[in-house]
Amino acid sequence: MVVAITLLLTAAQSCMKWEYGTMEEFRVSESGLFICNEGNFQYGNATLSYYNPETGEVENEIFARANAMKLGDVAQSMVIRDGIGWIVVNNSHIIFAIDINTFREVDRITNIASPRYIHFVSDTKAYVSQIWNNRIYIVNPKTFEITGDIVCPNMTMESGSTEQMVQVGDYVFVNCWSYQNRILKIDTRTDTVVAELTVGIQPTSLTLDRNGKLWTITDGGFAGSPYGFEAPALYCIDPESFTIERQFSFRLGDAPSEIQINGSKECLYWINDDIWAMDISAERLPVRPIIEARGTKYYGLTISPTNGDIYIADAIDYQQQGVIYRYSAEGELKDEFYVGIIPGAFCWK
Amino acid sequence: MRKLCYILLLVAAVATAQERTVAIDGVTIMGTRPMKDIGLQQTKLDSVALKQNVALSLADVLSFGSSIFVKNFGRATLSTVSFRGTSPSHTQVSWNGMKINNPMLGMTDFSMIPSYFIDDATLLAGTSSVGETGGGLGGAIKLNTQPVKQRGFNLQFIQGIGSFKTFDEFLRLTYATDRWQFSTRALYMTSANDYKYRNHDKKENIYDQNNNIIGQYHPIERNRSGSYKDLHILQEIYYNTGRGNRFSLNAWYIGSNRELPMLTTDYGEQSDFDNRQREQTLRTVIGYDHLRRNYRIGAKVGYIYSWMAYDYLRDPGNGIMTVMTRSRSKINTIYAQADAEYHLSDKWLFSANIDAHQHFVISKDKNIILQQGGTGIIGYDKARIELSAVVSAKWRPIERFGVGATLREQMYGKEFTPFIPALFLDGVLSKRGSVILKASVSRNYRFPTLNDQYFLPGGNPDLKSEQGFTYDAEISFKVGKKDRYTLSGSAAWFESYIDNWIQWLPTTKGFFSPRNIKRVHSYGVTLKASFDAKLHKDWRLTLDGTAAWTPSINIGEKISQADLSVGKQLPYVPKYTANLIGKISWKSWALTYKWCYYSRRYTMSSNEITLSGSLPPYFMNNISLEKDINFRWANINIKGAINNLFNEEYLSVLSRPMPGINFEVFIGITPKWRKQ
Repeated sequence: MVVAITLLLTAAQSCMKWEYGTMEEFRVSESGLFICNEGNFQYGNATLSYYNPETGEVENEIFARANAMKLGDVAQSMVIRDGIGWIVVNNSHIIFAIDINTFREVDRITNIASPRYIHFVSDTKAYVSQIWNNRIYIVNPKTFEITGDIVCPNMTMESGSTEQMVQVGDYVFVNCWSYQNRILKIDTRTDTVVAELTVGIQPTSLTLDRNGKLWTITDGGFAGSPYGFEAPALYCIDPESFTIERQFSFRLGDAPSEIQINGSKECLYWINDDIWAMDISAERLPVRPIIEARGTKYYGLTISPTNGDIYIADAIDYQQQGVIYRYSAEGELKDEFYVGIIPGAFCWK
Repeated sequence: MRKLCYILLLVAAVATAQERTVAIDGVTIMGTRPMKDIGLQQTKLDSVALKQNVALSLADVLSFGSSIFVKNFGRATLSTVSFRGTSPSHTQVSWNGMKINNPMLGMTDFSMIPSYFIDDATLLAGTSSVGETGGGLGGAIKLNTQPVKQRGFNLQFIQGIGSFKTFDEFLRLTYATDRWQFSTRALYMTSANDYKYRNHDKKENIYDQNNNIIGQYHPIERNRSGSYKDLHILQEIYYNTGRGNRFSLNAWYIGSNRELPMLTTDYGEQSDFDNRQREQTLRTVIGYDHLRRNYRIGAKVGYIYSWMAYDYLRDPGNGIMTVMTRSRSKINTIYAQADAEYHLSDKWLFSANIDAHQHFVISKDKNIILQQGGTGIIGYDKARIELSAVVSAKWRPIERFGVGATLREQMYGKEFTPFIPALFLDGVLSKRGSVILKASVSRNYRFPTLNDQYFLPGGNPDLKSEQGFTYDAEISFKVGKKDRYTLSGSAAWFESYIDNWIQWLPTTKGFFSPRNIKRVHSYGVTLKASFDAKLHKDWRLTLDGTAAWTPSINIGEKISQADLSVGKQLPYVPKYTANLIGKISWKSWALTYKWCYYSRRYTMSSNEITLSGSLPPYFMNNISLEKDINFRWANINIKGAINNLFNEEYLSVLSRPMPGINFEVFIGITPKWRKQ
């Protein structure tokens, strides 16, 4: 009986303590780099990190520390516009808007089915791409409301996938990735898909060079896929004629992704196990990587728009804080720092 | 008749391997220790432990009644168990001899096993599992049903009513003669399961007229999308010829329809989507046992049909729920087993067992539109045979000492795992106090699951079997005084290494794929104690407790220079666990107190304690009070239970809310028919 009473008293006093709940003050005004750490799908442990390239200082979990709440499940991407950072949190069905100096929430857009990326068409209109959904949402960033959607052709809800968006004039181009092989062209005046271009299987990412040409890189699908399995390729697309101008093929089984471009928009970078770089005027794919993998699992990539430094996210085992390697444009390691679980996307401030 | 009695005694001693001690004045002496159990470290959960109330799943019972770690994704949601710091797929589970681990996933969902449908459960840790099954790198759990003992026609009905609109109805009809035993059990469980909790992961904003945030708060939310309806029906027929032959038929049907609860970090509206998992499963085993004075042979055939569906539907804005994800899987398994035991003398026992599971699996994970038009399905359609054969010899040259050796071989598809050897040692150090020392060592292999090999995308047909090497020792005692008290306890030490641990990791193509990457060293100590005392004329106290210290350390190579996981505790494996069940009874009243403790669980392989990197320790307390009322026409049992007594806000898994204090009332009725 004594044991029981003792246990009762112990148990009553020993409840689980929540280890967060206070809001920290941040004030950063210098330029820097945000890192979206996806976290593990279905575990709600996405986080946001901030890195100051000048001082080399890094702050992790800044969203949770500034707001005393979690960022959510799978932080997919982030975009800055007019001092507001827009963080797309896929499986939380939310886009948080934060002050990029204090990291405090400004507002939020909720109830988005499966958001991936946000692209600003104007101060009052933005597009939100989605996966497993055949619609691109139209939102009003001023009112933080969904105002409409764009139904994408030849997609069902189950097979739908729209990803990164690039704007040329009045047209937004979007790559369709999961079990897709197309680039869609959307007229921002009518919010409708006006054309589509077939590329290779599963274009992963999209960027724009200084000549106004679009570049996308496909991953080729996977062996056994009923959708097909082919050698991936890098495509240069003329947005005016909406045709493929050049195509560079990889080996079957390669898995290139994350096409990026430097500040002058004349050199392309991507991940294909290693880190590769290629001038936009090159006639063939490079034969050697600029940075070799060394047991690393490169998952994210960005290029400093100011000095060309190469930032690579390594997810390690996808269950611990990932690491960011910072290399010079020439491929020399300048810094490395730990961030959150599965760092995948970057956003320059 | 005497022969029959002898055979029945042999059944009790050998076939069911029940160990009993006999208390006499002074110190307890040991009863027969079955040779089959030489060196085995096992925990038995009898029907008293299993049948606390109809609302409990086996996961709930194991949380409070064993040192096994239960990873619970929420109330009436996926619950997996693991021994000694291993993974859920390292726990092999059998039901009346037939393996019921999902052949696609390798693990078993213990929230789908109602404890009222199991009559005895045996937990076999590490090496002790080798005699039963291969691949139990953590251990094995044997679940069995038993023929009813009470003759004649009997009926039991229990109605449970609990918080969150929870209703549990249990009905059991039995009929038994000397030869025949029939039993039908049915359990229907429904719940809105919409418990309230404070969401510490989220904040709601308070706005002024200009849409500026002027305040925030952690909302009180309900567990959204968590309702369930589960139906279980279990039919058993046993026939005993009276000449040492016994036939049995067991058929268990499960019909489950469960919503999948939203994460704490989900800002979606519940009314906008439907996230649901459904299951229809039928497990059937037909068995035959032939018992003679010095041998037993048995054979079983079985069949499992399992259909599982996962649907995620969403309203795109037009009020019509539209499919975003629709996955289906269908498993047909045919099972056959033959086994034999032979007592060469009272010093030697030989046994052999061979079983086969033939799986046919169709997995349809996603519907897509093909490049050339038309639709296609992402999934696989595979068949695989799994064979396992084991021979064993147990030798007890003197009453106080025994040794055993077991050798098992497994085949899956066209692949063989290496031999699985196990050695056992068992000695009575002191008859006074029944002090027994046991030790064992084994090498074990677990072959990849069907998903590991064939899942699209990501399945890896080149995976190797996981390899385990385990050694352990246990010392136990049991003392008592007739009609006064019994006290028993044990302390076990174990150490195991697992190589080629299979882990699913994302690929650069956006999907996960399994690889043999980890090497894990787990070790530790488990303590068990049990006390049963008659305190006074009508007072009785029982206490059962366990405590475990189970470091489970990644000792593999660093993946890269930045890898901080080597030398660290595995994620979601607590280093310390403890639990206690205390029951005090007076006449027909009984008060039961259950308590358990889990230490901090890391959620990162690097063991970083960041804001979202670990789960703090927690205690859980449940209490129940019951009263038996005996009328001439029926026995009535009334029970009230309070779960999470101190209304603790806790998590077992990140972002999965758990219920606060909640209540249940059960009324059971067992009519008394005319004496048979």
